[in-house]
Amino acid sequence: MNRWRDRALFLALLAWVLLPVAMLAVRALAQSWRFPQILPAATDRLSALTLSTAAGDRLASALAMSITLAAATGLIGTILGFVIARSAAGSSQLFRRLTLAAAFFTVIAPPIALGVGLQVAMLGVGLGGTLVGVLLAHLVPATGYLTLFAVGVFSSLDSSLEDEARTLGASGWQVVSRVLVPLLRRRLGEALILGGLVSWGQVAITLLVGGGLVRTLPVELMSIVQSGDDRVAAIAALMLSVPPMLGIGLLTMGARRTGASV
Amino acid sequence: MTRSGLELRHVRVPFGDKAGLDDVTLQVPRGERVALLGPSGVGKTSLLRAIAGLGVLSSGAVVVDGRDVGSLPPERRGVVYMHQSPSLFPHVSVLDNVAFPLEVRGVTKRAARATALELLDRVRMGFAAARPPSTLSGGQRHRVALARALAAEPAVLLLDEPFASLDPELRAEVREAVIEILEHGNGPAVVLVTHDVDEAAGVADRLVVLLEGRVAQVGLPADLLASPRSVAVARFLGIPNLIRGMRDERGVVSCAIATFERPGAAGPVAVVVSAGMLRIRAGQRDGPAGTVTAVLHRVAGVAVRCDVGGESLLAVPEPGIDVAIGATVHVAVDTRALHVVDEPLDRG
Repeated sequence: MNRWRDRALFLALLAWVLLPVAMLAVRALAQSWRFPQILPAATDRLSALTLSTAAGDRLASALAMSITLAAATGLIGTILGFVIARSAAGSSQLFRRLTLAAAFFTVIAPPIALGVGLQVAMLGVGLGGTLVGVLLAHLVPATGYLTLFAVGVFSSLDSSLEDEARTLGASGWQVVSRVLVPLLRRRLGEALILGGLVSWGQVAITLLVGGGLVRTLPVELMSIVQSGDDRVAAIAALMLSVPPMLGIGLLTMGARRTGASV
Repeated sequence: MTRSGLELRHVRVPFGDKAGLDDVTLQVPRGERVALLGPSGVGKTSLLRAIAGLGVLSSGAVVVDGRDVGSLPPERRGVVYMHQSPSLFPHVSVLDNVAFPLEVRGVTKRAARATALELLDRVRMGFAAARPPSTLSGGQRHRVALARALAAEPAVLLLDEPFASLDPELRAEVREAVIEILEHGNGPAVVLVTHDVDEAAGVADRLVVLLEGRVAQVGLPADLLASPRSVAVARFLGIPNLIRGMRDERGVVSCAIATFERPGAAGPVAVVVSAGMLRIRAGQRDGPAGTVTAVLHRVAGVAVRCDVGGESLLAVPEPGIDVAIGATVHVAVDTRALHVVDEPLDRG
């Protein structure tokens, strides 16, 4: 009895998660889909992903911008998060608590509120409406997430490995490059993807700091939705949804293959 | 002149927020093994970490091979610190673990691996060179960790509770490995921390007893066990027979088991004697009479607790003697084995 109930619950959950994606996929493939049709007419279906050149260029450009920002945010955020977490681990309890509180604040603060503050700051230093300004702004919540993530990683890492490596003759840098990075390879990969995903979904911060000049995929999607072009919006939404799922899938596969754990 | 090795000069080490250890002065020449003994929380591990540069030193000097290393980072001190449970790097093979100290010093990978293989053979672990550390037993991990430590060619090797995490069988194996691998002569000065007095006495050339934040006594294991400097040291070492005594003006000491001469100031004293020196012999009535209160069956043999003149003493019956609780026995002692501590027993 319980087994059937569990299966039913699992299928319901799967449908709940996959239905919106399926609807997006159908909408992206159909030229038109009018109420009250349950599905698009056969002639409208599988019309191939033909887009006008202008729309295609817009999406391609936005996709490139999003990938650039996500990659840079993931990389820099991972470095910053791990460095901050490591410094906090070796410092006084007061400093450690303050660091964690600051990191936590960037995570719980509504992006719109964070964005307003960051907009003022970036305009003040002349980086408003620039890619660098948006990158720095994305790094604020990303570094917060990744600092909290790295604190967890370091708390489960056996510190005696570092101690022994140091007394065996390894410099601080050698400990990082020869012990910590190889040991934490999987965790660092996860952090890179997590940091990239924080950037990938940012709308409010990008709009406020980028001022509409830095057009990432979510920003472009908002614009397309407002213009009423459902089909292009569905394609953009799919483009926005697929990479995170691929990233998580790759991480899961990597973890299974290596059986790695810290 | 002392061979170079480790020298601590008036070292002061905090223990968390507490005072920790103070005024620790000690010399350990290369090739010697010294065990630090002391109750939990006295600061033994803090001292080791401070020597290695991993912990804080409030004052004093740590001198390694004649060089004050107090201001140097851990990697430049010539001191290797081994944790209680050997921390082998899980992401590389046993061979690369041992090659690690050589490679970080700039030795080529090929040469480092060749040397590492020699060291693994020396600790009889050459067969496991290609294996990951996770496949090794506890004793094998210790052997590999020792080989890795030797690869660093340290002047000083610090072993923090090296036997604590092992079961009794493995303890013996690792103890033998430590003695065998860290041979005297050109080897490093070895400082190990342990709670176990027997283990320390079995492995170390000298023992250092740390009590109440200070070095209470330093000496050869046999000397320390036979002649503790204070009642506190005797109690810490687990010497079972501490007997109240009184010395008169002529230097004659009287206690429950004997009257003997030991010059010194008149007054109450403590008489210390190990269980092995109090013998219960068949048919002999020399020595004071006592009543058996307990018969203890131990790995080392049978011991008998008996009440002699109001003192509860631990004695060893000679082989073949059958003693039972409540029986009257006579406890024989060679008064030369009795050690007198000039302090009343009730103190400490």
